[in-house]
Amino acid sequence: MNPLLEQFISEARDLLPAIGEKLLQLETDPTSAELIKELFRLVHTLKGSSGLFEFPEMTRVLHAGEDLLDRVRDARVAYSRTLADRLLDGMDFVGMLLDEIEATGGINAAHADNSARLAQSLRQLTGDSDEAKPTESGSIAANSAPIGLDCQQPSNSSSSVDLSEIPENLRMQLYRDVLAGAPLTWLEYTPEEDCFFKGEDPLFLMQQIPETAWGNIAARQAWPPLAELDAYRCKLVFRALTTAGPAILHELFRYIPEQVCIVAVPATALLQPCGNENGEAVLEAESHARSFRTIVQTQREILGLPDSDALLPGRLKSIAAALAACLRAIGKTGLLAGLDAALEQALSVTKAGPLLAWLDEHLPEAQALKTAERRAEVTLQAGAQAAEPSAPHPEAAIKFGRRAEDSISSIKTVKVDQVKIDRLMNLIGEMVVAKNSLPYLASRAETQYGLRELSREIKAQYAVVNRIAEEMQNAIMQIRMMPVSFIFQRFPRLVRDTSRKLGKEVNLVLEGEDTEADKNIIEALADPLIHIVRNSLDHGIELPDSRRAAGKPAAGCLSIHASQETDRVLIEISDDGKGIDPDIIKRKAYEKGLIDEAALERITDKEAVNLVFAAGFSTVEVVSDLSGRGVGMDVVRSAVEKVSGIVSLDSEKGYGTRIRLSLPLSMAITHVMIIESNQRIFGVPIENVVETVRVSCAAVHTIKRRLTTVLRGRIVPLVALNDLLALDEPQQLNQDNEMAILVVRLNNDLIGVIVDDFRQTVDIILKPLTGILGGLPGYAGSALLGDGSVLMVLNFKELIK
Amino acid sequence: MKRILVVDDAATVRLYHRNILESSGYTVDEAVNGIEALEKTLQMQFDLYIVDVNMPKLDGYGFLEELRSHDLPQAPAMMVSTEAGARDRIRALSVGANLYLVKPVKPEELLSHARLLLGEAET
Repeated sequence: MNPLLEQFISEARDLLPAIGEKLLQLETDPTSAELIKELFRLVHTLKGSSGLFEFPEMTRVLHAGEDLLDRVRDARVAYSRTLADRLLDGMDFVGMLLDEIEATGGINAAHADNSARLAQSLRQLTGDSDEAKPTESGSIAANSAPIGLDCQQPSNSSSSVDLSEIPENLRMQLYRDVLAGAPLTWLEYTPEEDCFFKGEDPLFLMQQIPETAWGNIAARQAWPPLAELDAYRCKLVFRALTTAGPAILHELFRYIPEQVCIVAVPATALLQPCGNENGEAVLEAESHARSFRTIVQTQREILGLPDSDALLPGRLKSIAAALAACLRAIGKTGLLAGLDAALEQALSVTKAGPLLAWLDEHLPEAQALKTAERRAEVTLQAGAQAAEPSAPHPEAAIKFGRRAEDSISSIKTVKVDQVKIDRLMNLIGEMVVAKNSLPYLASRAETQYGLRELSREIKAQYAVVNRIAEEMQNAIMQIRMMPVSFIFQRFPRLVRDTSRKLGKEVNLVLEGEDTEADKNIIEALADPLIHIVRNSLDHGIELPDSRRAAGKPAAGCLSIHASQETDRVLIEISDDGKGIDPDIIKRKAYEKGLIDEAALERITDKEAVNLVFAAGFSTVEVVSDLSGRGVGMDVVRSAVEKVSGIVSLDSEKGYGTRIRLSLPLSMAITHVMIIESNQRIFGVPIENVVETVRVSCAAVHTIKRRLTTVLRGRIVPLVALNDLLALDEPQQLNQDNEMAILVVRLNNDLIGVIVDDFRQTVDIILKPLTGILGGLPGYAGSALLGDGSVLMVLNFKELIK
Repeated sequence: MKRILVVDDAATVRLYHRNILESSGYTVDEAVNGIEALEKTLQMQFDLYIVDVNMPKLDGYGFLEELRSHDLPQAPAMMVSTEAGARDRIRALSVGANLYLVKPVKPEELLSHARLLLGEAET
């Protein structure tokens, strides 16, 4: 793919979400001129870029969208939900085309229909459904537009009159005549569509034109199918070139001046670029000469603009610079001195006059094509400008002094490939492990080689390396940090679309969007969050009628709140819907065999509602296409737990549901506690560990054939690690006859794991077990310790089942 | 070596202009909005500006107005817009554009204008 296209795709990928976001913001604040202006600019930019490529399917939709937004911006079309819907559809379509371009390098022609349909639906809102003429042509002619169709669109370059249809030899002849001083006038006549009913005869009128050198009649637009053709409406445009003066024509068309465009044609306008259908070129009129004419004429036009403003000196200088460059380019350097003098004179009187006079004298071709119509525009514009003083743009008031900090921000960010950051992360991981070997080295220096001094120095150096490594680790983690807004930004659209589909009204409140967490965590969070939000919309929030009946406002409220608490990210999703009925949950759980009869009686309401997280639980009676696809909240739970997260739920029947997710900020480096059992060491992720206690054997009792003890007024069941690992050894006690108990939290229950001894905690890079070891569910993974030994990290969730 | 400043917020458009102009041997600089363009103008001298209309922070009109109202070397400027309307054209010309072109500008058109405005004979 060529770099230009690549650039376009990457840019479009940035613009599309921004457009979507602005549209949704508009939904809450539909009158914000600032938002509409910004939205227009974004769509406009995207359309402009797409126009550089041959993607008519894409450009057509964007163009229609831009036109529509232009009307909205000028308050000619009111913002509406339908409008937002269609624009969003259009942008989705563009996004889809982008995917296709990226995958295949082009757009399948099959999309043309959709593109036309989308563009058409946008144009309907614009109030202009004629696809062929995106600008307000057809309708204008019928209105009281002052001038005809083509004349009305001033073209950017040489002329507003297209003379390329005139045969080459005739043009050559006319060129000579005009050079010799003969007048030549162009007339374009666009009769009103219902002119036949007003007693007008356009053809007859055209035939009255004296000295017609050339003429033609053409359809204004492509003809409709014969069946739809209205023969009583005039859809023609008449053009003629005559050597009669304009005065005669004005006289002839005096009753319908608004339908004609009469222009005196200068000789230069007859010069056409080479390569047209007529074959050879008139004189040496190629693009350079055409450019020259355009530039000189434009400078003449600028000089004719009202010159009572502060920009005049700068404008004059730039005009002189442009003219001088043109003169140099065509080799007329002899004129440069005169130009300079004219500029000096103009500057000294702060008027364009002297320069204008010089231009008219030395480059008379500049006067060409100052059409009557364009003059009218100029005076009209001048009047308008006088009425509203200059600098209508607030930004224009920004002065030099203030820019520095504004602009630097644009180059403060660097896009880096994710792979490079991952590599850095792996390296710092290895660094952390490598630095952990220094304390071992220090103790060996002391115990094995008896070098106490060296040992102390190594320890001191270790402290330094440790500090730097920690800072580095932090810095790199910062790079990987992403704001949760990355996932949040899709919710406004999701909630909007889903709730509309369900016929519900929902206000979404997002808070704490700038809370940051590691990229992996954020990515892992996306699916569970979407599932939770869908669940809330589908099952939580009621239909407006039932809400009103329950005395609640018709529009439900769904709030998603993110915050950071020490080294965890908390995300809370709450709705004010109907909540979860614990009795229904209990009954279902019992029916599905998830709990037994005893539990049915025993469990609290809070425990009951948390049963929705149990595997194989789904409360939906009817499977809708939104949630309830057979996967329930257990999928959410396991996805969250996969990244060492915790999920919990509370709900009050009739008042709503709240789900909390708690996730680590980062999962690249795991903090583990090392424990000892049967002369082996194992790691336990610190987030599982609630506390470590030593309990006297006397305080351990057997209840229902299970070991238990009472900790802080709570009965805690105990299991021996050796039993869990099927090691046929009793656990060791210390000399005071106490058991070492590691209290861990599993699904909100506390369990005491009896081990032999506790050791220190360390930072490790946890590597999942691969190959044949991957089948061992009891281990979360392995890690390399500083002394080179391997630490197996336990997964109690699997071990204790 | 002639130096051209392309001012446009769309990276694609900047690259498009850069490709065309660089292939003809010009040095191209870029600015993403009017503010950045002004800043670059203060740092070095350009022989030609190619300016977009719609840009954040400071748009093309604002930039030209600012440029022309300062006592700096006044190089010619082409304004490139998607609007073919006469009002936009007049507005651009009155704030100091020397040419008003409608997007998308064909490479040969852009080049022939640029050559002339840089005072170079046709090739």
